[in-house]
Amino acid sequence: MNFTFLCNTPPPKNGRKVAIIGAGPSGLAAAGYLACMGYKVEVYDKLPKAGGLMIFGIPGHRIPDVNIDEAVKKLQNDYGVEFRLCTKICGSEPMHEEAGDQFVLTYKSLGGRVEDNDAVLISTGTWKSRRLNLPGADLPGVYSGLEFLFPVRAAGYNISGVKAPDIKGKKIAVIGAGFTAVDVAHLALAQGAEKVYLVYRRTRNEAPCGTLEVSMLEKSGAICHELASPVRITGEDRVQGIELARCRLAQADDTGRCRPLVCDGELFNLEVDIVVGAIGEIAAPPFAHDLGLENVRKGQVRWLQMTNIDSVFVAGDALTGPSRVGSAVYSGLKAAQSLDQWLTLKAENRLNEYKGELIKNTDLP
Amino acid sequence: MKTLYLDYSKCIGCGTCEAVCKFIYRTPRIIMTRTSYGLHVPLYCQHCDNPKCMRVCIRKAIFQDDQGVVRLREEVCRTCDSKNCLMACPYVAMMCTGGDNPVTKCDMCVTRAGLGPACAAMCPCDALHYVDRTEMASLETEASQKAYERVRKYIICPDCSAPAL
Ligand SMILES: Cc1cc2nc3c(=O)[nH]c(=O)nc-3n(C[C@H](O)[C@H](O)[C@H](O)COP(=O)(O)OP(=O)(O)OC[C@H]3O[C@@H](n4cnc5c(N)ncnc54)[C@H](O)[C@@H]3O)c2cc1C
Ligand code: SF4
Ligand code: SF4
Repeated sequence: MNFTFLCNTPPPKNGRKVAIIGAGPSGLAAAGYLACMGYKVEVYDKLPKAGGLMIFGIPGHRIPDVNIDEAVKKLQNDYGVEFRLCTKICGSEPMHEEAGDQFVLTYKSLGGRVEDNDAVLISTGTWKSRRLNLPGADLPGVYSGLEFLFPVRAAGYNISGVKAPDIKGKKIAVIGAGFTAVDVAHLALAQGAEKVYLVYRRTRNEAPCGTLEVSMLEKSGAICHELASPVRITGEDRVQGIELARCRLAQADDTGRCRPLVCDGELFNLEVDIVVGAIGEIAAPPFAHDLGLENVRKGQVRWLQMTNIDSVFVAGDALTGPSRVGSAVYSGLKAAQSLDQWLTLKAENRLNEYKGELIKNTDLP
Repeated sequence: MKTLYLDYSKCIGCGTCEAVCKFIYRTPRIIMTRTSYGLHVPLYCQHCDNPKCMRVCIRKAIFQDDQGVVRLREEVCRTCDSKNCLMACPYVAMMCTGGDNPVTKCDMCVTRAGLGPACAAMCPCDALHYVDRTEMASLETEASQKAYERVRKYIICPDCSAPAL
């Protein structure tokens, strides 16, 4: 991976400074673009290593860490991009707790970044997991996908306060059939779980991860329960089991497309010690309100991917909600380009020429 | 003579290749497709030795340059209604743009002044390579060949499911 794929050698500095908050694929792609345009770039991340979910979410057998490490080193050594790790940027709102806060050594304010730089890019991803909304979901032993995956990957950094779930010999139910669910199931099997169940409301044909992934999981020893939906998690002071209801796909409607799901079938129990709800992450950037992100999403802004605060831009999953590395990269590049154009026109005092011209939705990633 | 080589067994379908291509050229020339067995894979131009797209083009708009890159003079096909090339390419690598120049294709970024293909530069999985044609064989593994067969089968017959594991 080479984030400076737009240039061969570092150009002369253009005298402008940009702070990027969040070193995932969107932030790093933007850093590469801006470095190629001669910007002085500073990247902040709350984690001890740059790469975002490419390092701490997606398992190493899918994206080898070394590919990201080398790309980051190139930004740092050849292009002078500075990385401020273990540093969390806060807005005016109270912070919610999220995976990865254990690593934070320094807190800095968004306002300070805005004052010290010509522009700021927010690319903080989606680190808040959607919770299972079930009786028993607050029992110890219930995790979200990221809560389960992140500590296992982060435990390699030997930081006190990060405790990986004890998986060996345990029985685990994974709810969902997206990539996060697949990653959780593979990780559990690799760490010596006794039994791994994949529970999905629909069938493998509808599974977002695809039929091939499901059969590969089965081949590695997982047991798949299709057409089953969790009703409640049982147990006294920790998870002891999960009750599921059988589902069926109702008749196709006239368009033949939409087949509503009804989960009114017989109930059955799985005896498990751990339940992981891998049912998606939600975009909850720390500064959503300050920035008026709703408007940016709808495209009601003065400048592509610019927020309510002048000179503050946003990109990646923080803007779009959970997506893929590719969309995050695209969004980061677009934001960097927009940021550069904005600063250039501003320097030439020409922003007025574009006043009132709203950015169309189609321009958004 | 260099070309693109994709090891489908390493590809995770993240779409980064398509994203950077789209960023540079608007209409991406390497495109993600969701196979019937559920994986996302990129399809791209193989810069064939004996290109079908070139053979069927009635305007002689497609040519092979001295580096073996199969290139398109986009303006030349403006007035062509046949769009034979779109149907002829076995890798779905001729693209409609919806713009003034209606068709585009991969040119391995020859216009990017020696920077090479952006897609290969940005692949996070080291799956997509820009290599000399003579080196391609040495990159192949049993896994890459199996994965390629799955994709091949899908391109020929999009409704076919993946061969048994
Ligand atoms: C388990 C899992 C598996 C996945 N598998 C795939 C896959 O196979 N293929 C694929 O294409 N996509 C996959 N994805 C999705 C992909 O990882 C994301 O879409 C992508 O990483 C988003 O990039 P981003 O730059 O927007 O955000 P992120 O990668 O989330 O990066 C955001 C960064 O911001 C930092 N940050 C957040 N808040 C602050 C703050 N206040 N101060 C400082 N730093 C902060 C975070 O520490 C993080 O490093 C997967 C996701 C998960 C969770
Ligand atoms: S960037 Fe690489 S891993 Fe991602 S889809 Fe393209 S070839 Fe596959
Ligand atoms: S466009 Fe298709 S037929 Fe033409 S060279 Fe590329 S892969 Fe071969």
